Amino acid sequence: MTQQWETTVSKDEKPTEKARAIRARQRAIGRELRRMFDDVAQEPVPDDFMDLLRQIDDAEDAKGGKKVS
Amino acid sequence: MPTTAPSMTNRAPDRPEDGDFKTELLALIPFLRAFARSLTGNQEGADDLAQETLVKAWQSRATFIPGTNLKAWLFTILRNQFYSDRRRAWRQAPWDQEAAERIPGGGEDQYFSAQLSDTARALRCLSDEQREALILVGAGGFSYEDAAGICKCAVGTVKSRVARARKALMEILDGDDTLGDTQRPAGGEAAREIMAQLDRLSTPDLGAQVGKRRPK
Repeated sequence: MTQQWETTVSKDEKPTEKARAIRARQRAIGRELRRMFDDVAQEPVPDDFMDLLRQIDDAEDAKGGKKVS
Repeated sequence: MPTTAPSMTNRAPDRPEDGDFKTELLALIPFLRAFARSLTGNQEGADDLAQETLVKAWQSRATFIPGTNLKAWLFTILRNQFYSDRRRAWRQAPWDQEAAERIPGGGEDQYFSAQLSDTARALRCLSDEQREALILVGAGGFSYEDAAGICKCAVGTVKSRVARARKALMEILDGDDTLGDTQRPAGGEAAREIMAQLDRLSTPDLGAQVGKRRPK
């Protein structure tokens, strides 16, 4: 059953060397995940996206029949 | 700031709040790209998805309630778009290898390229549900509650998905060595699941895989 291994360290167990190691490892993996996400988020936004927003503007102008400045 | 929620029909292009909305949208594009990348696992598909999301968000802007979490609202749209694109691709061309390769999240063998970190590769081995929960909470900075709203499931479900995702990642990355014998999954269930997913990912004939998942 998968439930059996849901908890890495049982709650009544004193933090052991192993439990501390697991937590440290989990934190390191967490940092790596955030780094991966942040790396993409910090990339310059490609021009395509700006073009798209400009197209939205143009479409709105055409539909509304007036200039949005 | 507008005090009343605009109706669907209130789509006048010169609403003053549209300017603010677009400014906020612009500021959130980097996060949309990052979330899209984590779902699809590749840059091109991710940027297409993020752009589709922007268009959808703009078209639906009248349904956004000012003062609520725009980032969560956008991520919800992006996630819905991701799954609906993929479902459509399965329905329309399940026999078409070329189309299968265009499916966001499909053709994942390419992500096993050398420049991806071990963690990025391991992330591709998780189920969609576990991966998205872990990204939202672990990297996107969302609360369990917001993540539950985005994924349309209970808060407890998100918590358990995140916990299982973390454990699975560690097992994939460290090869089970960090877990003691007593904490190993009974019968190596997780390991079997991971191996099954790896097998699926490395299957060259993705079209056949897609065909299998085709609704009858």
